[in-house]
Amino acid sequence: MSLDPFFRPRGVAVVGATPRPGAPGYVIVEQLRRKYRGRVYPVNPKYEEVLGLPSYPSLLDVPDPVDLAVVVVAAPKVPGVVEEAGRRGVPAVIVVSGGFAEVGGEGVELQRRLIEVARRYGVRVIGPNCIGVLDTSSGLDTFFLPEDRLPRPPRGPVAIASQSGALLSMWLEWMAAEGLGVSKAVSYGNKVDVDEVDVIEYLVEDPDTKIILLYIEGLRPGRGRAFVEAVRRALAAGKPVVALKGGRTERGALAARSHTAALASGYQLYRAVFKQAGVVEVEDMQALFDVAKAYVMLGPLRGRRLLIVTNAGGEGVLATDYADMYGLEVPQLGAEVRERLRRHLPPHAVVGNPVDLTADTDDERYRVVFDEVLSRERFDAVLVIAPPHPPGMSWRVAEYAADAMRRFGVPFAAVVTGGKLAEALAAEFERRGVPAYPTPERGVRALAALAAIGEAMGRARRLLAGARGADR
Amino acid sequence: MRLSPREIVEAALREGRRKLLEHEAYALLEHYGLPVPRHALARSLEEAVEAAEHVGYPVVLKVVSPDIVHKSDVGGVVLGLRSEEEVAEAYARIVENVKRRAPEARIYGILVQHMVPEGVEVIVGATRDPVFGPVVMFGLGGIFVEVLKDVSFRVVPLTEDDAEEMIREIKGYAVLKGVRGIARRDIAALKRIILGVARIMEEIPEVRELDLNPVMSYPEGQGAAIADARVIVARPGEEPEEHV
Repeated sequence: MSLDPFFRPRGVAVVGATPRPGAPGYVIVEQLRRKYRGRVYPVNPKYEEVLGLPSYPSLLDVPDPVDLAVVVVAAPKVPGVVEEAGRRGVPAVIVVSGGFAEVGGEGVELQRRLIEVARRYGVRVIGPNCIGVLDTSSGLDTFFLPEDRLPRPPRGPVAIASQSGALLSMWLEWMAAEGLGVSKAVSYGNKVDVDEVDVIEYLVEDPDTKIILLYIEGLRPGRGRAFVEAVRRALAAGKPVVALKGGRTERGALAARSHTAALASGYQLYRAVFKQAGVVEVEDMQALFDVAKAYVMLGPLRGRRLLIVTNAGGEGVLATDYADMYGLEVPQLGAEVRERLRRHLPPHAVVGNPVDLTADTDDERYRVVFDEVLSRERFDAVLVIAPPHPPGMSWRVAEYAADAMRRFGVPFAAVVTGGKLAEALAAEFERRGVPAYPTPERGVRALAALAAIGEAMGRARRLLAGARGADR
Repeated sequence: MRLSPREIVEAALREGRRKLLEHEAYALLEHYGLPVPRHALARSLEEAVEAAEHVGYPVVLKVVSPDIVHKSDVGGVVLGLRSEEEVAEAYARIVENVKRRAPEARIYGILVQHMVPEGVEVIVGATRDPVFGPVVMFGLGGIFVEVLKDVSFRVVPLTEDDAEEMIREIKGYAVLKGVRGIARRDIAALKRIILGVARIMEEIPEVRELDLNPVMSYPEGQGAAIADARVIVARPGEEPEEHV
């Protein structure tokens, strides 16, 4: 079954709906009523109506069409609700309620019963213990946090799948603040059924999604291979998967039996699998969004050759260091180009890669370097380091960068370090389509990730083409 | 009579064994085209001498018994034999040692194995992970794997690129590429071993763990040789119990 009913259902029942402001059963109905285009059915035998909508005593009483039930009742009641969904023919259930395997004890048994009932009726489940789904295209929003607490991000090309609901919420607010648009966001909590593999597979087909961000702690047993294949299909479809891995797996009994078993520790295996699948792994949250922004604005890089143009020598050196660390090349310019640059630039400018225009520069020198170098040599990306402090600098550097990016077809990123003035120049770069970062390490790291994404896509396409060839 | 890999594994499981005997492991690996040392199972002194001639000197003799876990501890291994006389003497010594120190052990024979020349030692291994299924490992042998854990992993099935990357991504790759006094190694031969191990893990679900340690890696064009192999088997669904 496609996951469509989770994202664009024709009707949604909210089981545990309540007129009590702030409660999950209230916030969810409120969000759905405001934004979601399909029918909304509160379910609660205690009330005649909730937020002006008629409330039904049980799922069995809800009229057609209803493709999705969002469940917020206490854990012990959940298996019964899922059974009603099955009998009512509701194909998809999001269980927001917690109190299952994550609390141990009776919760484990409740989760087992939930799984058993869902399988018996063929009902697909997201959760339990999750915040569910946000779809900015259909308007579906099961997040139980009110908008004054959790502003929702604008519509856009970034999809997020997260094992943790809390992290997902924070990230959405972060993205709302950065103006990064979201297509779909999913948290699957205890993932008794729908997991990251299902979600990635669904997003491969989603026209609104261009990049998939993942917060992952561990895959379900036996899902490793399917994960690798789902990621490759996403890459082949032009959608990179960028992951932040949390936690490490205890492999207790399996460890220490042989060299290989003992050495195959959880995290090391995940790293290997990410590499094999083509997942771009980032080390922290900041990098996740730095990469997402760069990808949305620039797409993948064709190679690893980086040109660095700076007015601050030290930042040029740091950027070169980071380029080396993250696997980008900073090749020397050819003799002809160096000769031409020397003719255009003052004698104290350092002609090489990085090109250091020094602190007496103006915007024009940047333009000359872009033109002279990019019209003669092939680079895969340009890092423009433009601290706004030299008096000769204005905001035209952003215009020149954007213009050269367009004319030469080479992606540009900017590094603008400093305070308020720097923020303003960074915003000007971004307004013109050049992603900007406050430090050289963040700018270089984002570009290096775009190079890794380009390579992973090429590889996934070759592999899938090879597999199709082998089938014939 | 040559047994198929399935038959080799099946025979061991029927006897309740979790670890293949050395000649069984070699037969399994050989079926997948992996470079095992020339070897023969001898059941008498005469057979041992003949086998040594056949596999080529120098040879090593090892007792083959399902009941002996640490062969060296009972004096069941003799290395570096270079003549008929040495083989005959070693054969008698092993039989004597085992009779004295492990009188209850069933003896299937004595393995006569060609001693492969020294090379840069690498390890190729495989295990089954509950999440990822069969996983292949590669690393430099000795202290590199024991102390530095300088190893790489990939999940099965592997592409040729995966195998190549596994070799390139360990820090010890610098040694395989050739450093002062050590010629560049035959990387293609190592790739073939990695891919062969991946195929075994893919095609024989009963193979739970596999360690080729060490594999001798030789200079470019001269291949590689497996010097020792350990293969743990169990029926699907069963956990291999505490062992060896």
